[in-house]
Amino acid sequence: MKNPPKISRRKTLLGLGAGAGALATTGVLPGSLGFAQAQSSAPIKIGFQKHATGIGAAYGRWYDTTTTAAVARINEMGGINGRPVEIITEDDATDPGRGAEVLEKFANQHEVDVAFGTLFSHVVIGSAPRAGELKLPYFVVSEGHHVASGMLNRYTLQPGITDVKSQVISMAPFVADNLGKKVTMIYPDFAFGHDHRDFFSEAIEAQGGEVVAKIAIPPTETTFTRYFPNIPRETEVIYHVMVGPAVLTFVKEMGEFFGPSRPEIFGFIDSLEAVDIQSPGLEFLEGTYFWEGMPRHKQANESEAASAYRAAVGVNDRGAAIDDPANVATYAHMFGCWETLNVIKAGMEAADYQGPADRTKLIEAVEAMTEMPESLDHPQGDKLFNGKTHQAFGKQFISKVSDGNLEVVHTASIEDGLYADEVDYTTQSF
Amino acid sequence: MTLLVKSCLAAPLAVILASGPALAHAADQGFVLLLPTTAYIVGGTLTVAATILLLILLRPGQLDPLMRPVVLGPPRAKRDWRGWGQLFAAIGLALLILIGLRGPTDPQANLMPLVLWTVWWMLLFVVQALVFDIWSWINPWPALLRVLVPESKALITLPAGLSIWPAVVIMAAFQGFVLADAAPNDPERLAIFAIGYWVFTLAGMTVFGRETWLRQVECFTVLFTLIGLLRPVKRSSIGFPGWQVFSKHQLDLSHAGFILIVLASGSFDGLYETFRWLARIGVNPLEYPGRTALVWPTTLGLYGSILFLTAIFALAVFLGTALVKGSVGFKTAFVRFSFTLLPIAIGYHFAHYFVTFLVQIQVVLATLADPFALGWNLFGLGHRRVMVGFLTVPGTVKAIWLCQAGAVVLSHVLAVLLSHRTAETFCSSRRDILALQSGISILMVFYTIFGLWLLASPRGA
Repeated sequence: MKNPPKISRRKTLLGLGAGAGALATTGVLPGSLGFAQAQSSAPIKIGFQKHATGIGAAYGRWYDTTTTAAVARINEMGGINGRPVEIITEDDATDPGRGAEVLEKFANQHEVDVAFGTLFSHVVIGSAPRAGELKLPYFVVSEGHHVASGMLNRYTLQPGITDVKSQVISMAPFVADNLGKKVTMIYPDFAFGHDHRDFFSEAIEAQGGEVVAKIAIPPTETTFTRYFPNIPRETEVIYHVMVGPAVLTFVKEMGEFFGPSRPEIFGFIDSLEAVDIQSPGLEFLEGTYFWEGMPRHKQANESEAASAYRAAVGVNDRGAAIDDPANVATYAHMFGCWETLNVIKAGMEAADYQGPADRTKLIEAVEAMTEMPESLDHPQGDKLFNGKTHQAFGKQFISKVSDGNLEVVHTASIEDGLYADEVDYTTQSF
Repeated sequence: MTLLVKSCLAAPLAVILASGPALAHAADQGFVLLLPTTAYIVGGTLTVAATILLLILLRPGQLDPLMRPVVLGPPRAKRDWRGWGQLFAAIGLALLILIGLRGPTDPQANLMPLVLWTVWWMLLFVVQALVFDIWSWINPWPALLRVLVPESKALITLPAGLSIWPAVVIMAAFQGFVLADAAPNDPERLAIFAIGYWVFTLAGMTVFGRETWLRQVECFTVLFTLIGLLRPVKRSSIGFPGWQVFSKHQLDLSHAGFILIVLASGSFDGLYETFRWLARIGVNPLEYPGRTALVWPTTLGLYGSILFLTAIFALAVFLGTALVKGSVGFKTAFVRFSFTLLPIAIGYHFAHYFVTFLVQIQVVLATLADPFALGWNLFGLGHRRVMVGFLTVPGTVKAIWLCQAGAVVLSHVLAVLLSHRTAETFCSSRRDILALQSGISILMVFYTIFGLWLLASPRGA
């Protein structure tokens, strides 16, 4: 028996928002929302696989905020193919097992057109096979390399955020040219850290540099002082990618170890995503460098599109919620939701998408995309989409901590992050 | 093939905004790890140990006045409105079930999980234990039956010898659901469970009689009755927290078992998220695989913890009874001393959920503005933003942690007092009083360390 459709809070709220405008201008009845010119005024349903609970909940909240803002804008512009967009949210509990179940609910219970929004890699990897079985387009915002590596399937795409392999290798030219060629890497001792180690080692060697020490930290470690003596004296740059609750301890202890004289230090903002860079204990980071997916702190030359996006998601110039300034956003990642939704819109329009029967046409339309210029649809910057690998490539930012501000000192080009294709999904049948 | 799991690890301070208690922690842990928690743990433990030593100085019976309630006057014969309260609660539960089945699928926007876990399990649990007998006003189970069948007659008599063993079994199952189920926050799933339990309870009350069923089988009535024993106020009597434990009650092993389940489950709830536990079961805490993958380790861990706590508690009681040969039997002491664990269970419950509660209660308020997702904005609450930034302000994090630790320490101090008073009910000489509670005292000192360690430990789940 088919389950009755559920009420969606977001649907209602957005409906009111869009409907209010429509009422004011056209006097149409609520429900049609001014989209009546379309063949069908039924909403386009996008299933949002949200990390509402579990270890991803902080990200889930900001992904939700961004998604809500992006859909509000799309609906204000008339929706997709003249139809309003409705977000159906299901909690995957940041759990791969639940993730797959949620996709089933999307397909069979809610009858969504596409699924969207997953961040955590293990949830993507746990869910994608089911998306393939259900023949449900699955737009992830995970930045994992698993899409472009070829381990997933034709129904899984990542058009709104770059992958970590691209991010890592695009950092090497700047590091080698500006910070030093002898690098010590400090990373957690499991797959995540190993991938950083492998990608960056190769990339820095291509720049004439070398990794002089690889210091792997056990994942359960909460104090780090005993590892620092293993840093060779010749080290010019420390590359760190520590994650988890002990990151602050790591920074503090590294600062205590080096004192005023230290090598250059480069890290990924993931370590401190959603953490105020001016938090006590992080003073040691002054003068160090971070990769950023999108500059958290407003830059003097921030583009109009980036500023409009910042305002739309309710984030202030310091990258925190306007009405809760201690609540720092997951700013380096969440733009991916905004951009992915705009890709879905563009894809559906290109495919003249009418309903689930057109899902394969939608995927082909997205696969045919290449350049996505910087715009309000793509506020993070230009993108280049590779239809064969289902992966977007884009600019990367390197920011220096100066007086407690993250100031962009280098923008890596799209070309810096390109690598050879590892898969051609277009050769797979639907 | 190596997998990139960058995103899965990216949040050092990920705020776990789960509405379900099983996921309940705000991981403001990055700052907690920078606090001198070892010193705090030592301080807290010394406080409990010092209390034990101070009690040694007391003359036998000196605690008696403390545990004797003051009667504030004869109970006034007022009309009892509790039946109405229960009826409204039943209607409220029915609405929650409806919202769970047909409302928003996001548990952070659905009142079913939000009210159940945040309001009932986190808040009302503590209210019941400390402030007021709220359960007698909101127990939703008997209301409907009372309207339909005013006279409750049992069709089959439940053996009194069963005592509350049925409730013990159901409480153990409930804790399994809270901790080990893959999706205890899913609104639809919760609604279905609630319907199932409601039907089960209605059937049970019809067949075995309303009061009997509530007293012996309905685990939440049993739970709220037991934790209510700690409340200073009962009707028109007021006393030191825990005085009710020493008034007349029919207590047996099943009550002790129930209390041990509540305490062990609460402790395991803290333990199973720690790096230490995850590493022990072979899970990388920075790569937490989700609850689905851990259903069996968690289930086994939970029930193993209950058995383990029961065993060490029995050992502690046995040590005392062996030292005071003949004064009190092991079984009697086991039952009576189990009640001294109640404050610890309640104190840790508060500490464990405190941070999550501070966030989730805001979500509840925001969702109350539009309970049926119809676009309402009742009371203007819909425009409230849920504030979570305070969890990344070091000063606030410290204050919150000290508040949690304070609750744990205070609850142990109270447990020590109750333990001393319990020993006095069996022994008259100072030597025997101390000997009888010696094992329990050691247990309580170590449990203080354990409880504070849980609060200070890094968590991966």
